[in-house]
Amino acid sequence: MNQAMHRTSPAIWAVRIGGLLLLTYTLVMTFGVPLGPGIEDVTVQRTALTDEGASFAVDVAGYGTHFTTSAPRVFLKRGDHIVHATAVTAQDDGHLTCRIDLPLQVPSRSFDVFVNGAKDGTISFANGFFAEGLEVKEGISLSPDGEALGDLEDADLGFHFPFQPNIMESIRNLMLHVPMWFTMFLLMGISFAQSIKTLRVGGNMDRDHRAVSAVKVGLWFGVLGLLTGSLWARFTWGAWWVDDPQLNGAFVTVMVYAGYLVLRSSVTDPKLRSRLSAVYNLFGFCLLVVLLMVLPRFTESLHPGKGGNPAFSSYDLDSALRAAFYPAVLGWMILGTWMYALQLRMERSRARIAEAQLMRSNMPLALLFVTPASTSSLEAVFTASGKMPVVVGVAVIIFLGLGLWWILAARELRRLSRQESSLNGTSPS
Amino acid sequence: MRETWFLFRHFWQADVRSKHGVAGLVLFAVSTVYAAYQVVRGRPDADTWNAMAWIILLFTAFNGVSRTLEEDRSEVLAYLRTTVQPVHYMLARTLHNVVILSGLSCLVMVFAGLLLGWSDLGGARLWGFVGAMVLTAVALGTTLTLLALIAARAGAGFGMTAVLGLPLVLPIVLVATTLGSELLSGVLVADTWHNFAFLGALSAGSGVFGAVLFPYLWRAS
Repeated sequence: MNQAMHRTSPAIWAVRIGGLLLLTYTLVMTFGVPLGPGIEDVTVQRTALTDEGASFAVDVAGYGTHFTTSAPRVFLKRGDHIVHATAVTAQDDGHLTCRIDLPLQVPSRSFDVFVNGAKDGTISFANGFFAEGLEVKEGISLSPDGEALGDLEDADLGFHFPFQPNIMESIRNLMLHVPMWFTMFLLMGISFAQSIKTLRVGGNMDRDHRAVSAVKVGLWFGVLGLLTGSLWARFTWGAWWVDDPQLNGAFVTVMVYAGYLVLRSSVTDPKLRSRLSAVYNLFGFCLLVVLLMVLPRFTESLHPGKGGNPAFSSYDLDSALRAAFYPAVLGWMILGTWMYALQLRMERSRARIAEAQLMRSNMPLALLFVTPASTSSLEAVFTASGKMPVVVGVAVIIFLGLGLWWILAARELRRLSRQESSLNGTSPS
Repeated sequence: MRETWFLFRHFWQADVRSKHGVAGLVLFAVSTVYAAYQVVRGRPDADTWNAMAWIILLFTAFNGVSRTLEEDRSEVLAYLRTTVQPVHYMLARTLHNVVILSGLSCLVMVFAGLLLGWSDLGGARLWGFVGAMVLTAVALGTTLTLLALIAARAGAGFGMTAVLGLPLVLPIVLVATTLGSELLSGVLVADTWHNFAFLGALSAGSGVFGAVLFPYLWRAS
C-alpha cells in the first residue's frame, strides 16, 4: 500500500552520509587526540622527624609528562600557604622525586601537589600530600612571600584532551558512552510523540508501528549504554554496578521500556495492543521525566557531571572535548534515526504479512552479556596505559552491539521481503 | 464528584459483601510479616527492619492492586461502560485502592511492631514512620492502579502488573527507604519533610496522569 514511503529521498541520504562522516570524525578524534599531561599518583614517606621539623620524600608519578626535559619544580599549596620542594630529580619522563621540609606546626596536614614545567605547564593532584605526625595549629604562616609563584611556565602543548585523575584516558568515553543515552532519549521522545498520536482521534496503526520501532532501537542503545557504563565503572569505581541515582535512573528507564515490549507481546489484538501500550508509554515516560529530574536532586551522585564531579562544567569540558563531543552526539543520533527508519520498515512489513496470513512473527531480541572473568588479570589489562583499554572495550561493545543489530536487521528485512513477495506475488521495494 | 463517591461506595460494599477479597489481602500481609519474623528470628537491627518494612509494604501493595474485582468481569464492564464516565470510574478505583492500601500499611505497621518490634522508633518519629508508610501506600496505590488496569485489560494478571509496575515504583521505594532510614537514625520529622512532600506530589501527579489516560483503556475495542 505504501510503496512510495520506502523510497528514501536524496535529502535524507545526504543527512545519513553526513552522519556517517560525523561518526568517522568522532572515531578519529576519540582515538587520535592525545591526552594532556597530569599527575597519576603521589606517594609520601616521612624520612626524618626532629625537634625543628620533618622531612618527607615525595614521589610523583606523572602520566604523559616530560619531566626530564621540562626542568620541573614542585610545590604544595593549601589556601594561601605555599611550600616549595627541594632536590627535585626527574627519574624519567613520568617519574620524579623531591624533598619537602615542614616545621612541626602546620596550618593544615593535607596539601595539593603542583608540578610546573616548561612543556607541561602547571599540573596538580588534589590532596596528594599528607604530613603525617605534624601538629595542626591555626595562624601559622608557611609562605610569607606570595610573589614566589609569579614566574610559572605556561604549557606548550598541541591539541589535547584534558587529564582528569582516575578517569585518565577513559575521558574519551564522552564520545562513545554518553551519546548512547542522548540517542536513546531522542528515540524515546519520538516514541512518546507517536504514542500521543496513536491515542488521538484518527490515530492509525502506523503511529503504533513508529512508537514501537523507536522503543526497540532506543532500548538497544540503552542496553549498550548500560554495558559500556558498567565496564567503565569497573575500572573507575571498582565495581560493575554501584548504588548511584544516575545509574538507578538508567536502569529504571531500560526496565520500563523492556516492560513496554513485554506488555505488547502479551496482547494479540493489534488495536487493543496499540492503545494499551500507548497508555503505558505515556504514563511511563511522564513518570520517568519527573523522577529522573527530581530524584537525583535528593541524593549525591558519583557520576561525572553530577554533584561537582568532572564532566559538563565549563572548566572540565574544554574546547577540545567540545569539538569532539557535539559532532559525536549528532552523528550517533543520525545513526539512531536511521536504524529507527529500518526498524519501522520491518514493523510495517511484519504488519502487512500478519494481515496477509493472520499470523504474527517475532524478531528475537538478542542481548549482549559481559561474562565476568578473573578480576586480577582484568585489572592489570584494563588499567594499563592510562585506562585506554577501557575506551577500546567500550568502543568494541558499541560496535559489536550495533553491528549485531545491523546484521539481524538486514537478515530480517531480507526474510520479510522474501516472505512478502511470496505472499502476494509483488516485490516490495 | 457524586458519581465517583457512589462508585467508591459501590466497590466498598462489594468488598464487604464478598469478604474473601479483603480477608485474603489481610492474610497475605500478616503472613508476609510473619515470614519476615521467621527469617530474622527476633529483633533485627535498624537497617534490616527498615528494608523489611518497605519490602513487605511493596508486596502487599502489588497484591492489593492486582486483585480482580467483580467489576472486572466482562459482562459487568459492558454494563458499566454504558452507565459510568471513565474518569469517575478511574477516580473511584484509585480511591478504593488507596484506602485499602493505607489500611493495610497500618496493619503491617501494627503487626510488624508486635513481632519484630519498632526498632529505634519512638514517639513522634514512630508516628512519622506510620505517616510515611501510609503516604507511600497512597503513592503506590495511585501509580499501580492504572498499571493494574492495563494488565487486566491485556488479560494478564499479577505477573504483568509486576513487570510494568516494579521499575516505575522503584523511585518511590528509594524515597521511602531513604525517609525510613533517616527516621530510624534519629532525624526529626520536621527535618525530612521534603521526602513527605515528594511522595505527596508524586501521588497527586500519577493520580492526574491516570485519570487523563484511563479513558483510552475504557473503550470497548
